[in-house]
Amino acid sequence: MENEAIEELLQAYAVGDVSEVEAERVEAALDDSPRLREELARYERLFVLLVAAAEEEVKVPRDLRARIVWRVAVTAYLNSAAELAGGLLGAYGRALIYYLRLA
Amino acid sequence: MARVCAGNRRTFSELVWRHQAPVFRVCYRFLGNREDAKDAAQESFIRAFKKLDGFEGRSSFKTWLLRLTVNVSLNERTRRKENLPLEDWAPPDFSGDGPEEAAMKAEALARLHKALQALQPNHRAAVVLHDLEGLNFREVGEALDVAEQTAKSWAYRGRQRLKDLMT
Repeated sequence: MENEAIEELLQAYAVGDVSEVEAERVEAALDDSPRLREELARYERLFVLLVAAAEEEVKVPRDLRARIVWRVAVTAYLNSAAELAGGLLGAYGRALIYYLRLA
Repeated sequence: MARVCAGNRRTFSELVWRHQAPVFRVCYRFLGNREDAKDAAQESFIRAFKKLDGFEGRSSFKTWLLRLTVNVSLNERTRRKENLPLEDWAPPDFSGDGPEEAAMKAEALARLHKALQALQPNHRAAVVLHDLEGLNFREVGEALDVAEQTAKSWAYRGRQRLKDLMT
């Protein structure tokens, strides 16, 4: 149980996100355990990679916004048309719209 | 937001402009290729537009939108039921480094992205949103509809698995 708690703290310790008391607990455990020291080194390597991945530029496709706006416009138009048809034709209109999957 | 809810498409277009980058990145990190990410990002915004009435403002709009994005991406992964081939990842450009370091870094990142795909979906979501998108755990919890502590635990499990796969 204690080992599991230390393992959990180890991740936080690797990024400096622990209190002073927790840091002392982790450091005491590290002094006694080569395995934990190796685990800490592995977490530190992982966090370096995660930071690099977070900084990695993922370019947004140029036409993404235009495509979304166009689809939103079509969706809004179909919704309006569906409401209008539903109002004009009542239950038959709504059934037709449902059948045609327009809304 | 009230104007968007009233059906102002121009205002929605501004929201798309503001949030398209994080939405696309989350889709890309979940799905692993740009074309699928593009489709999923579009679907996420369409769902947001349709569900705007349901946005109650209990979380930020971005967090609410990312919740839809994660759901769309997870559904898409489940629907495809395929593993991400590593070659689908375009290695990032590390133009500031020397060529050798850049190549090593790119390879390591490609491995990381592949390892991310091997995580349980909820663990992957927590790692992507917290460690890569920079949301705090309260926001991650809101985006994934779980308690903050659960979000922390998922990120912990995800990193533990990543560490085993990567180092």
